[in-house]
Amino acid sequence: MSSRLALIAAVVAITVLYSLPAFAPDPYVLHVLVLACLYVIPAVGLNLMLGYTGLVSLGHMGFAGVGAYVGAILLVDVKHGFWVTLLLATLAAGFAGALVGAICLRFRTHFFMIVTLAFGLLAFSVFNNWDEVTRGAVGFPGIPRPRPIELGGVRYTFGPLPHFYYFVLTAAMLVFALQRLVVRSDFGCTLMAIRQDEKLAQAKGVDVMRYKVAVFALGAALAGLGGLLHVSFLRVAAPASFNLAESINAVLIVVLGGAGSLVGPALGALVFVALPEYLRMTAEWRLVIFGALLVVVTLFAPRGLAGLFHSRNIGVRPGSDTNVK
Amino acid sequence: MLEALAEQIINGLMMGSVYVLVALGMVLVYGVMHVVNFAHGVLFMMGGYVAHFFFARVTGSYVLATLLTMALLAVIGIAIERAIFRPLAGNLRNQVIASLGLILAIENLTIAIWGPNALQLKLPSTETLVTIGPLRFPEHQLLIIAITAVMVVALSLFLKRSRFGTAIRATAQAREAALVVGIPVERVYWSTFAIGTALAALGGALIGPLFLIFPTMGDAPLVKGLAGILLGGMGSVPGAVIGGLSIGVLEAVSTLFLPTDYKDSIAFMAMVVILLLRPQGLFGVRVRGED
Repeated sequence: MSSRLALIAAVVAITVLYSLPAFAPDPYVLHVLVLACLYVIPAVGLNLMLGYTGLVSLGHMGFAGVGAYVGAILLVDVKHGFWVTLLLATLAAGFAGALVGAICLRFRTHFFMIVTLAFGLLAFSVFNNWDEVTRGAVGFPGIPRPRPIELGGVRYTFGPLPHFYYFVLTAAMLVFALQRLVVRSDFGCTLMAIRQDEKLAQAKGVDVMRYKVAVFALGAALAGLGGLLHVSFLRVAAPASFNLAESINAVLIVVLGGAGSLVGPALGALVFVALPEYLRMTAEWRLVIFGALLVVVTLFAPRGLAGLFHSRNIGVRPGSDTNVK
Repeated sequence: MLEALAEQIINGLMMGSVYVLVALGMVLVYGVMHVVNFAHGVLFMMGGYVAHFFFARVTGSYVLATLLTMALLAVIGIAIERAIFRPLAGNLRNQVIASLGLILAIENLTIAIWGPNALQLKLPSTETLVTIGPLRFPEHQLLIIAITAVMVVALSLFLKRSRFGTAIRATAQAREAALVVGIPVERVYWSTFAIGTALAALGGALIGPLFLIFPTMGDAPLVKGLAGILLGGMGSVPGAVIGGLSIGVLEAVSTLFLPTDYKDSIAFMAMVVILLLRPQGLFGVRVRGED
């Protein structure tokens, strides 16, 4: 697909998404799209790590939980405002990412995956068991949506579904813009160099560890942002939203959509959330099918859905790097 | 206090034995194929369900049900190796992602078939108590330790003494050299996978009667098996045994000092500490420039 065609497709998609509530004010459709947006934000973070840098983290949603619970405590217990909390929760998740990343990234290949898996389970265990702070397995109730804001005399509330939809859609758009910015920057090019050949990058003088920790922290921060928005939408933070299965779902969304592709997470999240709703599948069967689909994608279409649209090779080809062990 | 400690050590050895059964399979597969199969935990879980099925619906004999389970899971293991891991050989990232897909598919298929609620496999051996000094343990607990010990010895003898076991070790050491001397490497791959899944299935079938059988019952053994492998050293069979047992005892003894809710966290923390202080594990040698 040429870049002009991609631009037109992006403009059309954005226009459709923003005008949807006006044409199809079906709350069910909006609900599904809100969920897709909430899945997409952490997925973009994981795409930067997995797709562009080659870091397969199996505990990604643990960081979403960090953002969600830090946010819940700040909103409910400390009674901070929403926007300050949004910032602080994102920073807290990013900081946790830098800290955990500094430990996990000392390891490579399997060992890195195993420690991220362990981190994810440890985080879940804390969310689930630290009753005094996280309210334990029953979940953390009473998380508010943002208060109404006034811009030039116009009052905007976040309570009604279409309004919240515009809010998370805009958040997701900004995250995609950030992803594009990162990927097209020198920083992003260095990340891709690390993915393609870490030793060569190191030999060329790249401080690989610093770049990896940076992208890990960035990915974690985006996960935290998504986590907070998620619990603000549901108005409750439950540990089950941040367990191993959810971390696997995040990998699924990224790989299905196309790891290392700018639109990949959007395609992945849309398919992941909307397809089972469309087909009216039960929760188990939907995950059986997606699990099988994930296997099929790695076997036959390692560039995911986004790869199907590319007739020729543009830039990155995930899964084809020769040095990946 | 001493009694409580002794009791927890036996409990720990029992859970540790189960972790050993999981760890052995992963260590064997890692040794020859150089891939960690993260779906090993759900194969363990399937062991529990399939054993329950054979026991309740087919034979009524626990021993026979367990053997049938191991055989069936070995076949499933071979299918997974041929259909997924072999075509993806050499691409670690995609192998791991495919194993995540397997986790999703198998775990939810289990829920779709058997429902989300836990199953019970009632055996007399879980209720008969055996007295050791002042302590009493369910017979089944000691049975698990004994069976694991037998399996470990049998596996070691098989790897050390038999011709095919030597072929497996040779493939683990140097794949190309093994090919050159005429070892059927592909057969080594699928049989290693079969042995590994059969051992995981045995673990699931053994633990099922003692606790309940539920869809996520394999998650903890997977992580603790991995912790055991890391402690013992990747690719080392004796290391996996000692590592698995140590993790089991460590977490059981920790319940004397810490709330039981945090029992699971012990293994995770042990794992990180081991990796930071001694990444090659207690018995591991770094193979193939791995780090």
